[in-house]
Amino acid sequence: MSLLSLIVFTPLAGALLILAIPGTRTKTIQGAALAATSLCMLLSGYLYFAFDKTTAAMQFVERLPWIPAFNINYYMGADGLSVAIVILTALLTLLSTIYSFNITLRVKEFFFWFLLLEAGMLGVFVSLDFFLFYVFWELTLVPMYFLIGVWGGPKKEYAAIKFFLYTLFGSLFMLLGMLALYFNSAPHTFDMLELARQGSLLPLNMQIWIFLALYLGFAIKIPAFPFHTWLPLAHVEAPTGVSVILAGVLLKMGTYGIMRVSFPVLPAATKWFLPFLIVIAVINIVYGAFCAMAQKDLKKMVAYSSINHMGYCMLGMTAMTAIGFNGAVMQMITHGLITGSLFLLVGVIYDRAHTRDIDAFGGLAARFPVYAGLMIIQVMASLGLPGLAGFVGEFLCFLGAFPAWPWYVAVSTIGIIVTAAFFLRMIEKVFLGPFNEKWAGLKDMNFRELVAIVPLAVLTLVIGIWPRFCLDLIDPTITYLASMMK
Amino acid sequence: MTNIILLNPEIILACAGLLILLAGAFIGENRAKLLYHLGTISAAAVLGMIITQAAFSAYGTGTMWILDPGAQLFKFVILVATILTLLLSVNYSAIQPRHIGTYTALLLWASCGMMFLSGAMDLIYLLISLELISISCFILTGFEQKNPRSAEGAIKYFLMGSLSTAVTVYGISLFYGATGTTNLLAYASAADLHLSDPAYIMGMLFILVGFGFKISMVPFHFWAPDAYEGAPTPVTAYLSVASKLAALGAMLRIFTVVIPHGSLNLTLIIAVLAALTMTLGNLTALFQTNIKRLLAYSSIAQAGYMLIGLVVADPLGREGVLFYSLAYLVTNMGAFAVAMVVAGKTGSYELDAYNGLARRSLGLSIVMVMFLLSLAGIPPLAGFVAKFYVFSSAVNSQHYLWLAVLGVLNSVVSVYYYMNIARRMFFTERKDFSAVETDIYTTGVIVFTSAATLLMGLLPQTCMRIVKDCVSFHL
Repeated sequence: MSLLSLIVFTPLAGALLILAIPGTRTKTIQGAALAATSLCMLLSGYLYFAFDKTTAAMQFVERLPWIPAFNINYYMGADGLSVAIVILTALLTLLSTIYSFNITLRVKEFFFWFLLLEAGMLGVFVSLDFFLFYVFWELTLVPMYFLIGVWGGPKKEYAAIKFFLYTLFGSLFMLLGMLALYFNSAPHTFDMLELARQGSLLPLNMQIWIFLALYLGFAIKIPAFPFHTWLPLAHVEAPTGVSVILAGVLLKMGTYGIMRVSFPVLPAATKWFLPFLIVIAVINIVYGAFCAMAQKDLKKMVAYSSINHMGYCMLGMTAMTAIGFNGAVMQMITHGLITGSLFLLVGVIYDRAHTRDIDAFGGLAARFPVYAGLMIIQVMASLGLPGLAGFVGEFLCFLGAFPAWPWYVAVSTIGIIVTAAFFLRMIEKVFLGPFNEKWAGLKDMNFRELVAIVPLAVLTLVIGIWPRFCLDLIDPTITYLASMMK
Repeated sequence: MTNIILLNPEIILACAGLLILLAGAFIGENRAKLLYHLGTISAAAVLGMIITQAAFSAYGTGTMWILDPGAQLFKFVILVATILTLLLSVNYSAIQPRHIGTYTALLLWASCGMMFLSGAMDLIYLLISLELISISCFILTGFEQKNPRSAEGAIKYFLMGSLSTAVTVYGISLFYGATGTTNLLAYASAADLHLSDPAYIMGMLFILVGFGFKISMVPFHFWAPDAYEGAPTPVTAYLSVASKLAALGAMLRIFTVVIPHGSLNLTLIIAVLAALTMTLGNLTALFQTNIKRLLAYSSIAQAGYMLIGLVVADPLGREGVLFYSLAYLVTNMGAFAVAMVVAGKTGSYELDAYNGLARRSLGLSIVMVMFLLSLAGIPPLAGFVAKFYVFSSAVNSQHYLWLAVLGVLNSVVSVYYYMNIARRMFFTERKDFSAVETDIYTTGVIVFTSAATLLMGLLPQTCMRIVKDCVSFHL
């Protein structure tokens, strides 16, 4: 059965279909986009139930020779790690497609690029051949460039090219690292599982160089300090639906890549780099939080909080234990849900008020109860309130990292406090206090926005209360991954 | 001259050129376009011959030339480029009807020279083929008589070209002085006695310079932007693809198979020149405002990437060069075809002409983006697999890892100016929404090249098998 291919190529088929529809028929195009993303979501949902949650082995494996000259295969498979992120991707894309129905400019092109982007992202998370992985990885680049550049904010063109060049710079070094792995394996292969089996045989010196090359590619995506400068720009300039995908899924490609490739394939180099990785994680956490605190623009604040949250994720990864890894993956998922919905919520207010300045609002809670309620749930989840999804990931990350790096973890807690501070201050300024009469004419959220955001809020609550719903899916895989690192 | 039969395709092509020239003198101006079709048909027929010969995998040597899969591959490339060029020329208005016969004939003769070149095994023979190419191309470059740029380009090309020929001839004389032969085959089987003879190494170096001019290797690239800008656009496409690849093919044969550059201690020089070629090409391209000049500098940079494979010179590297040639053929031809269409509509080769193109012709814009991304080496397009191929040879060699790193950095730089065109097409607005029409011939070229660009990226196995066969073949 070729379920994974179906999941990956449904959006691609949708994209090509949209290209064939005349540009003036907006409704048909939106319908086609909705159909493609829904179908993709349904298939991914089916994946959740069909997936055997007791084993760490790759499932739904497809393997066809693709370029025998280089021993490259069309090789796909999914374990707990992949399945979780595939579902996240399909869900976020579906919801942001719904949200993006408010786009009126060049609708046809928008959904064409958007679906192409989805195909690329899904492909990354199910590829088990490094070459295939790389092709999908780069496939996300071009659509994102156009999505930011055409439909973005005032500085869109600069943001788009900066994003493109930055990411390409990293991924081309990843390509070199990948080639080095290929030529140092015997027989030459791009098969990630096979590379992981052979990887520990490489001399440490070489592992370090390869790790560095791969890390450059992944770290820019995460983005890890000091490669984070593209992120605030791109996130802020991108249209809402695209920001959701950027924060919710694209950043995870970096952490996913590290967990899928760098760690298992280069275990010795990983150990060698751990002291650096933990420092970078802590910088991400603390620096990201302080930067977020300094922002006056809601969207920028959420963007910087992403840097901070990806720091938690990296912290969990440096633990090198099952708990830490579980935390990291949970953090990837919950950050996708929470930050995704935060970007949507920021989009909602921006669509109405055409400003995102925190100081411009006040007392919104009384007039817009639904909006305020959703925003407060997600903000609380983001700052790690127990009972909500964000807490699960953060707690596990800290718990996992503490035995190995107590001092660093202690420093990282500053990040939590600062996050709480800036989010609560934001709530106060925007939702509490006297109502700013300037916004009296605004309406509360409409049906389209609710459809896009409520599922995420529900999931935030569900995972917060019953995290096993997610953890059971990933745990066998993560335990196996952690055992490989011993 | 025992094996003159091996040259049948070239002879047929040259005769076809003569006939077309003659026909051009008698045909009425309103029916002159027929001559393009005659040219296309004869090139296609010769292409058919080449393909059937390749299927036999027959080979043979004359005294001066050789017929092996490598040579056949380059002949294939040259003929495909010729056919595409002729198709692009059909509705190119700047060529006057009464000159079409001359134009087509010259194009066929230039191709004929390139086909000779790809099988050259004797330096005199090589020189004659180079001259046949050069003289035809000089005239073709200056073919737009009303356009002073065209004349300027042709003169520059001519002066630089004659200088390079002179240097090459001098190199050949030194080679002859040192080895007593001009025949490379005889030399290859004879002695390695002369390896340390400075005259011999000097000779080879001068011959390298001659090739450097043809493939627009830095620092012998100065003619390229002016000639490319001035020449009629189909000729520009032809120069940037056929002329460059033919010379590269011969260079690959001579400097990696017959006389490996490692044995001459020239490797480092070629490596440095490759590095300079891609870097300078890319950096200069950043500042161009004219699409033809931009593509000229981009094609200089592309030559630099190809040279990486030539520097590495192991089978993987040579396969990389061959694959790169195929990918470059379709991608660059396609890019020039789109440039021609856009200029046909807007009357300008300035980059401004691309503003808002996506609103006017979405399909054309997406295809152009595809060509540009392929040139930049983004998967899943032909250019990516080609870069992957040459970079992997560099990584594999370990010794030339630095070239791969430099190539990667250059790719990042190149994305900036390629995407600048995409930016103009998609991000900027323009009042004029009228669609850009393409005629049937140009559409054919664009469809063929874009399909090939995509297919070679998605399913490169067939092409890889072919280039592997070419490289693993030994006489």
